[in-house]
Amino acid sequence: MEEPVDTATAILASAAVLLRERTFDDISYRALADEVGISERTIYRQYPTRAHLLAALSNWIEQAFFPLPPFVTVSDFRAAVHERFRAFDALPAYAYVGARASAISPTLDIEPAYITRAIEAMLDVAAPTLNRRDRRRIAASLRYFSSAMFWARLRTSFDLDAAEICDAFDRAVDTVLAKLPDATRVEP
Amino acid sequence: MTEPAADPALSGTQVAILDAYAGLIEELGSDDVSNRVIARRAGIAERTVFRNYPTRVDLLLATAAWIEATVFAREESHSIFDIPLAIREAMQRYDARPELAHVVAETAMRGVSGAAPSPGRAQLERLLDAEVPSLDAAQRTAVIAALSHLDSVGAWVTFRREFAMDRRDIADAAAWAAEAVLDSIRNRVAP
Repeated sequence: MEEPVDTATAILASAAVLLRERTFDDISYRALADEVGISERTIYRQYPTRAHLLAALSNWIEQAFFPLPPFVTVSDFRAAVHERFRAFDALPAYAYVGARASAISPTLDIEPAYITRAIEAMLDVAAPTLNRRDRRRIAASLRYFSSAMFWARLRTSFDLDAAEICDAFDRAVDTVLAKLPDATRVEP
Repeated sequence: MTEPAADPALSGTQVAILDAYAGLIEELGSDDVSNRVIARRAGIAERTVFRNYPTRVDLLLATAAWIEATVFAREESHSIFDIPLAIREAMQRYDARPELAHVVAETAMRGVSGAAPSPGRAQLERLLDAEVPSLDAAQRTAVIAALSHLDSVGAWVTFRREFAMDRRDIADAAAWAAEAVLDSIRNRVAP
């Protein structure tokens, strides 16, 4: 990773360091200010609420640790999601921050995540004549099964490891894609 | 809020605290509410809040569980094949109370220090084992995991945020996905 250049990024990098030893809830603005070597007020100026900090931290972690491999085909999509789930498993504290940030009431106008757009583009190619409602149902289902939330739920509630989570994901994707009418289906 | 307390393990004071906090979350659009304000709303002393819920996380988890059990309570399903109907109704309830829905969603995604993310899992397993006992272990886990995932407020949050869906479309898409999951076992019911 590059050295952080601005205050906002320095705060996030320090928060990520603190996350290695404590949960997000246990990272106070005071401890964070000490870690960065700035005043608490400066942090409030950057991140007026903890929800703002959580959202920004999640984005930063996503870029630094969980970059999404690009995909065009369904099989590339599966491989990309598998890679992410394995990365989540290696850094669970960071992955939970992502799952949690995706659940909070949005602090700003939020653009859909890159993976959402990529799934929609994938379906445009895989099923070009499919009607709009079914396309959205499929896109939304694939998006939700490929999310950090899915990983977090299966890890916490079902005690599954990355390989088992990837298997459950593949089966869920199979059931959703089985809804595609045969004629529209361009499965690689 | 007018919903009755569903959990008999809660004292009247605790219900008053949770009800006050949930009401404030909805009014303020944030879970960042001081114990002083919660105590005033509940008509109790501030230290009573501390005594019942020593930390903010304790209070949030209890509140989320209480909201799930009251505001977002589900009608009991008697068949695994009824789950899509329950999901459709649950999505409509989440959409009617967005601030509370976000609180429940967030507390379920905190890892070990959070709420259990799949409270309905045991019931899904009971229904599935009674109706479709022939699944192998991996198939069974996959069906339960997929339905648990869809029958949760996370679906509402994701469909709304990522696809800008409205109440009708969210309920439709979540129920549709659950039907898709059930397609794989639809014809395997034990005689």
